[in-house]
Amino acid sequence: MRPVHWLYTIPLRLRSLFRRAQADQELDEELRDHLERAIEEYVARGMAPREARRKALLAIGGIENCKEECRDARRVNWIQDLIQDAHYGLRMLQQNPGFTAAAVLAIALGVGINVGIFSVLNGAALRLLPIPRAEQVVSIDQILHGRFKRNSHNGASMFSYSEYLNYREHNHVFSGLLAYEPFVNATLSGGKMQELLGALTSCNYFDVLGEHPTQGRGFLESDCATPGGNAVVVISDDLWRGTFASDPSLLGKSITLNRTAYTVVGIAPPGFKGTEPIPSSFWVAIAMQKALDPWSDRLADDNLSWLALLGRVQRGVTMQEVQADLAVIAGRIDQVHPGRTTSLSIRAATFFNRQTEREILTPVVSVIFATFGLVLLVACANVANLLLARASVRQKEIALRLSIGASRWRLMRQLLAESLLLSLIGGTLGSLLAFWSFTSITRLIISHLPREVSTLAVNVAPDFRVLAYALGLTLITGIAFGLIPALQSSRQDLNSALKEDGARSGPGKRSGRLLLSVFVGTQVAVCMILLLATGLLLRGLYYAQTVDPGFEMKGVATMFLNLGQQGYDENRGTAFVGRLRQRMSELPGVIEVAQAECAPLSHDFSADAFTVPGRVEKIGIEYNHVSPQYFSVLGIPIVRGRGFLPGETHASPGVVVTESTARRLWPDEDPLGKTLRESSGREYSVIGVARDAQVAHLGDLHTTYLYFPEGTPDNLRAYVLVRYAGDFPGTAKAIRNAVQSLDPDLPVDVAKLEDYLEVWRRPSRIVAALSGALGALALLLASIGVYGVVSYSVSRRVHEIGVRMALGADGGEIRNLLLRQAMRPVLVGVLVGVAGCGAVSQVLSSMLFGLSAHDPIAFLAVPLLLLVVALVASVIPVRYGTRVDPMVALRYE
Amino acid sequence: MLLSVTEDIGMSKPSDLVQGTLDMLLVKILALEPMNGFAVSQRLKQVSGDVLEVSDGSLYPALHKLEQEGWITAEWKTSEYGRRAKYYSLTRLGRRQLEKEADNWDRLSSAISRVIKLKEA
Repeated sequence: MRPVHWLYTIPLRLRSLFRRAQADQELDEELRDHLERAIEEYVARGMAPREARRKALLAIGGIENCKEECRDARRVNWIQDLIQDAHYGLRMLQQNPGFTAAAVLAIALGVGINVGIFSVLNGAALRLLPIPRAEQVVSIDQILHGRFKRNSHNGASMFSYSEYLNYREHNHVFSGLLAYEPFVNATLSGGKMQELLGALTSCNYFDVLGEHPTQGRGFLESDCATPGGNAVVVISDDLWRGTFASDPSLLGKSITLNRTAYTVVGIAPPGFKGTEPIPSSFWVAIAMQKALDPWSDRLADDNLSWLALLGRVQRGVTMQEVQADLAVIAGRIDQVHPGRTTSLSIRAATFFNRQTEREILTPVVSVIFATFGLVLLVACANVANLLLARASVRQKEIALRLSIGASRWRLMRQLLAESLLLSLIGGTLGSLLAFWSFTSITRLIISHLPREVSTLAVNVAPDFRVLAYALGLTLITGIAFGLIPALQSSRQDLNSALKEDGARSGPGKRSGRLLLSVFVGTQVAVCMILLLATGLLLRGLYYAQTVDPGFEMKGVATMFLNLGQQGYDENRGTAFVGRLRQRMSELPGVIEVAQAECAPLSHDFSADAFTVPGRVEKIGIEYNHVSPQYFSVLGIPIVRGRGFLPGETHASPGVVVTESTARRLWPDEDPLGKTLRESSGREYSVIGVARDAQVAHLGDLHTTYLYFPEGTPDNLRAYVLVRYAGDFPGTAKAIRNAVQSLDPDLPVDVAKLEDYLEVWRRPSRIVAALSGALGALALLLASIGVYGVVSYSVSRRVHEIGVRMALGADGGEIRNLLLRQAMRPVLVGVLVGVAGCGAVSQVLSSMLFGLSAHDPIAFLAVPLLLLVVALVASVIPVRYGTRVDPMVALRYE
Repeated sequence: MLLSVTEDIGMSKPSDLVQGTLDMLLVKILALEPMNGFAVSQRLKQVSGDVLEVSDGSLYPALHKLEQEGWITAEWKTSEYGRRAKYYSLTRLGRRQLEKEADNWDRLSSAISRVIKLKEA
């Protein structure tokens, strides 16, 4: 049919859709009229009235049949069919409430968790920034190739200040290009002391983003004209309301950040928290960089990656044009650095944008999605099983319909419509549950993250993308679990189905039984993988709780001093630390005080590539600068040679290596007196060997590590470790007082060393809890699946059981037979699952704290658990089913 | 079968004609004048000299389909005996279709005739 013609017929089709009752009545009248005329005709030709009537009815082929065919001819095809199928499907679902409830629940759980995790991903990485006309804003990353030397402050894909100015001056595609340094720490002093997180931004930051401060102003170009010139700050609405208690006269007053005074010129709009996932509390003009962090002059360094770039694209400009225009500028910059080529990555601006962040996120997200997808698969297999079982019950009805002329395709369509209806109900329920619960789950997870990440600016509320995903997933799920049962049911041997008792012929069919077994096996295998992952993670956690880290954690307090940021220079810093350590060691309850560049397990570390003179191989070794008391405060014994002497500083060439380092570098030799060369060329000699300890990363007992003596640069940024006796709060208070007696404006935070271990354990605990929940869910679904299939097949074979028992078999034999047959697919599933677990354990090995990825206990315990559960799930229906009187069974239909 | 061709000698195996041909014939009949279903089948029988006969069971589904496709339209009229009957008539679209189908049929039938009339060697 030509398209125009089809359009013309739409009104007719719509009319038949909506006025069906009237059309039916008219049809009836029309046919009766025809009959009367036909009868008249026959009577006129001389036939008797009754004979005429019979002949007329015969000619028309049966009024009802004719009506049906007319209706078929009028059908608007698929829409009307769909509505009809939906009606029928709803009726069927209502008639079997138990089945419907089980299926809907399984689907709701599977779809719900997947939609929930997608909404989290959406909020984090897919949603555009919450600023006006965010679709125009892009983020720019650069990736350097070839030979080059580059320093990096925050991320390797960022830009230097001169590069930023270059792009800003010479581009033709942006209406504005801004730069900012994220994650800038500052201490707010004067009154209540507070650690704040903010950003250093170019002066067009608020203009380009379109988020002008509601009170006061943003930055002017004059604020960025001279480095260190104009000390102005814009603070966030949350900070104003919180710390400053909504002080209406705050504008124009000055606040002190990192010992410098800044005038508050504006308060950001409520709800604007910056362009990073962790909210910013303040924004300072980029010209003030050196004031905020005196220890490095980043503005002047042309070869430092430290600024993130965001640009607002002019209207009507395409991405290709942006790419091309910026590539020209990048090429020009490369000419100054021969051997280097820059490629740019330009993307729509979201919260997790930078190359480095994506590299970390992608594998984690893939694993999570894969896991949740597996649970959905288990749910689908479950529902498919239920559908197969129910289809066997309806076999007679289906066979009848096929035999009176329904096409197979029509029948399949109707069964699929039922499945889609199920999945739509389940999917809607699941999505609602997800939206309601995932916001609270996200909040729960955030509350367990380190203190610095107190809130996240990501929004996990559903938007059109999440809804589209939910709908798509629901439809795919419906087709996934509905297709095979539909195909199976409509492929029928009509003769035997109609002749025999439909109930009996069900499991007799080889392919039908095989399908059921396959689904059960699949569920068990997937469940196995999930449970094994959980088992490994739990074992790893237990291992981490009980492992001996190699040093004394209890009874040690630690404190971080960042004097450089507070404006101290080397001399002043050294004097301060000396006096502080003296004062602290005199405190009651303090046994010993030590100082180190990095505290154990503090996530702070330094590393360098070392060589042994005479060898070519370069080895990366982590190191620490420690005072002589470090080893005794932490209880790390020196097993050969000596530790450091008081007064021994970085100027002297002695180093202490760990046992593993000695073994690695000089196997079977005495390490004392041996030489090491660092990358700058300076040589050191080994004066002592310390016991291995997990000071760098938990779970790493045998990595290389070495200790340098303390040096004066360390006094500006160091950890102070205190071994104390008595209670922690009292000691902490005394330490705080000691610090403040020397410098009242210095922020001091005293923590227990054990808490650092907590921070290491916490993410694993969250992951273990989540995967435990998932594993339990999968186990529940799988056991329901096994139970359902076994009880169904037992009930179908009641007749056969009756025959066997009448012929003399006893109950126990029959039970064993049934159990064996029921457990066969389970065993296959377990074996497949164990085989598939090899891959999983590799992925998890990073989270296992040194536990072997093929831990035998986990690999034994979990399959056993699964087998036991499956056995119980099978035994119950088998027991129930065989406790039957043979006479009753034989008559069972 | 939808349409049977009765041979002069009475009852013999009827041959099937395609649905499209039936549609074309019905539409042509209605092109002569609007009439109801019974009259259409009577007229067809009459003008074809009793050769073409539509079974009643296929007549009405065909008519309804033609109406659905928009080739014919129907209205309810009160007939001479005071009873309501449904009268079908041709639409403009149907007229265009009819011309097209008639052309096709011409070409097809002349081609078949040419082949059948070939002289055997």
